[in-house]
Amino acid sequence: MLDRLISRLRRFRRIFILLAVIGPGLITTNAGNDAGAIATYSQAGAEFGFRMIWLLVVITLSLAVVNEMGARMGVVTGKGLADLIRERFGVRSTTFAMLLLLVANSVTTMAEFAGMAAALELFQVPRFVTVPLVAIAIWLLIVRGSYPLVERVLLAIGLVYLAYIASGIAAHPDWGQVGQSALLPRPDPSRAYFLLAIGLVGTTIAPWMQFYLQSSVAEKGIPNDQLRYSQVDVVSGAIFADLVAFFIIVAAAVTLYGHVTPGQLANMQAADYARALTPVAGAGAFVLFGIGLFGASLLSGGVVPLSTAYTVTEAFGWERGVGQRLADAPAFFGIFTGLIVIGAVTVLIPGVPLVPMILLSQEINGLILAAILVYMLVLVNDRRVMGRYVNGLVANVIGGATVVLLICLTGFLLLSVVPGSPLAG
Amino acid sequence: MLFLTEILGAEVVDVRQRRSGRVRDVTVRIQEPYPLVTGLVVSRHRELVIPWSSVRALAGREVALRVPREDVEKHQASPDDVWLARDVLDKQIVDLDGRRVVRVNDLQLTEVRGEMLLVAADIGIRGILRRLGLEGAGKAIARLFGRNLPMVLVAWNVVAPLAPPSPQQAAAGDELRLRISGKRIAKLHPADIADIVEELGAKDRHAVFESLAEDIAADTLEEMELEDQVSVIEHMGAERASEILEEMPPDEVADILAEMPEDRAQEILGLMESEERDDVEELLAYREGTAGGLMTTEFVAVSEDLSAQQCIDELRRMEPNAESIYYVFVVDGQEHLRGVLSLRDLIVAPPDKPIRDIMIRNVIAVRLDASAEEVAAVLSKYNLLAVPVVDEEDQLRGLVTVDDALDEVLPDSVKRKLPRVF
Repeated sequence: MLDRLISRLRRFRRIFILLAVIGPGLITTNAGNDAGAIATYSQAGAEFGFRMIWLLVVITLSLAVVNEMGARMGVVTGKGLADLIRERFGVRSTTFAMLLLLVANSVTTMAEFAGMAAALELFQVPRFVTVPLVAIAIWLLIVRGSYPLVERVLLAIGLVYLAYIASGIAAHPDWGQVGQSALLPRPDPSRAYFLLAIGLVGTTIAPWMQFYLQSSVAEKGIPNDQLRYSQVDVVSGAIFADLVAFFIIVAAAVTLYGHVTPGQLANMQAADYARALTPVAGAGAFVLFGIGLFGASLLSGGVVPLSTAYTVTEAFGWERGVGQRLADAPAFFGIFTGLIVIGAVTVLIPGVPLVPMILLSQEINGLILAAILVYMLVLVNDRRVMGRYVNGLVANVIGGATVVLLICLTGFLLLSVVPGSPLAG
Repeated sequence: MLFLTEILGAEVVDVRQRRSGRVRDVTVRIQEPYPLVTGLVVSRHRELVIPWSSVRALAGREVALRVPREDVEKHQASPDDVWLARDVLDKQIVDLDGRRVVRVNDLQLTEVRGEMLLVAADIGIRGILRRLGLEGAGKAIARLFGRNLPMVLVAWNVVAPLAPPSPQQAAAGDELRLRISGKRIAKLHPADIADIVEELGAKDRHAVFESLAEDIAADTLEEMELEDQVSVIEHMGAERASEILEEMPPDEVADILAEMPEDRAQEILGLMESEERDDVEELLAYREGTAGGLMTTEFVAVSEDLSAQQCIDELRRMEPNAESIYYVFVVDGQEHLRGVLSLRDLIVAPPDKPIRDIMIRNVIAVRLDASAEEVAAVLSKYNLLAVPVVDEEDQLRGLVTVDDALDEVLPDSVKRKLPRVF
């Protein structure tokens, strides 16, 4: 039955030819607009209005630079990030990096499942029905090697989020104020602000995306003299993804900021976020939001566990691939199965608030990102690895500044919880 | 048993008991079958290499020299040597026995008649645990469950190291190392080589292809997915690409070139021998997914005027390849398809009998523009191994084999690597 469906889908693959032509950069970064991203951007708008837009502008630059570094490493070395970490830093550092990645990707997978549950609850489907079913479906799709086909469809569903652009415009924000907020940082010195800021960085430049992007670029086997195309691809991907993010924040700020109580803010529901689409979709906003959220979460809910399994097994040189038998590749099967189980089971814990869990996962990603960026920066500056394609000054400054920014945000966050510090309150 | 990672970081003490730095790397000279340890790189001086002959003993985490350290200070690293920690440890290698790509977790050195040799790569969990300082703990835990933690070693003579991805990383000794690698890999069955290279990153894959002889490269390429074939050929010099493609069936060559940028395909075509080129160009003209696009022009056709014996002699002269010998087609002077013979019919017939009298006249054939589905349906309905393709005038133009047709109509086999998704 499934086979037949899939072979039928394949025949329609030409419909998706456009998606096949778009390079890894554009696809990966936009696939990165998943449950965590939607929730984080919506929350940013709802809680702080336009006051986080400056940060989005800043990290769009970071995202473009970091993606470009990853793509360049992929093209020049033909290897994934995990391979390079292993070959350059040895077993100890690799183990550390992989443990971090496992933590980040576990919480990300949880967030994806939470996203699916939240989306379906919009349609009155209880999570105790959907989550186990979806988990099993994802697992089967991966094991049967059919995920690639489904992914294209899910990516297309993700295009629903383009509606945010229309919504942001239809909401008639005060553009002068938006512009001002984009250029002048006016952070709110509170714990909630710093925490969400870390989440915003973590979801935009998600660690899993760095590993995934570099592997997909490396896999294409692009010759060095075509590096330019790859750079254009990843940089435009970054800009496009963040353009959507920008309008999500704007739409959420206009429709939600000041319209929700502080009590509600601490425990937002998917239905609240969906209201940001009402300027363009009216009563249909929650349908649009629900479909988009479900598609995006389902996509990353499969991609994240699967890419984790590939990354870790590659780093350690273990057997991998869905074509292997379970007995030959226990680590590979164990990792993605484990992540799916962890993700699904956490969401099923009675009383777990879905949206706060999603936001927390992105904040953890932000904390871990700093370490992953340090690995990337050392590698991309190593002449033995990159030859004459080592980083230039601009890339180093922006990459380094991103790390510093994350450390500062984390520092402020810590300060804000220390009683008596200037930021406490 | 001595492991590389047990030597790395060890304290070097000279003959006068003076501390002289720590071991940073171990150098080897590439030789068959096992590389020879030539010296130790010491951390205090970047390029200082202590020749192995100056080493008296290895005891615990200490390396004792038999000379005062002043005597070795002038020694320079040999550019031909490979540095094990830098160039081999943690890198990928091909395990030729297991026919898989694995990572080097540690390297085993053994003293044989006064020479220290690199004999094996540790590719198992023990090597990883050893480097995390957890080997003892791992063994203890395994024992708790009544098991032994197995040591997974691959002997170095059945290992093929891969090329460093950038020339900056290449030591001079790498060239020899890779030549030995290429020779060893070439001994595997092409299908196994294809499996191995498909596991590799793009640059490693191209490096392996560079090291293979043309006929082996061609056989290996035939076993790979179209997408990977294109990537490999795109990365080669046009000269070498054309030489490898000449060894392949024209239908596959046409498929590969059709996927490549026009100018590059033309360049490669231009370098091929004219006979091969004509076949490929003819095939390139047909639409993808039709019988014309699927067919190969390598088929066996004989004149209807021959006798059975003459026909057998003719086949012997043509030396057709295995794919095309299923059926012997019979044509008239204008290449019109008149009949078909099986080898059995030919062999059991009296030598002087005209083949016109033994051939089957109602040949099942498809038109050039028949769709892949139609071709597959014909093959399946009549239980054929291959079906001839004819043009509007019934002239024989090519042959579609059952596996080429199946490849086209079946959903692509399971894609094994995730990043290829997009």
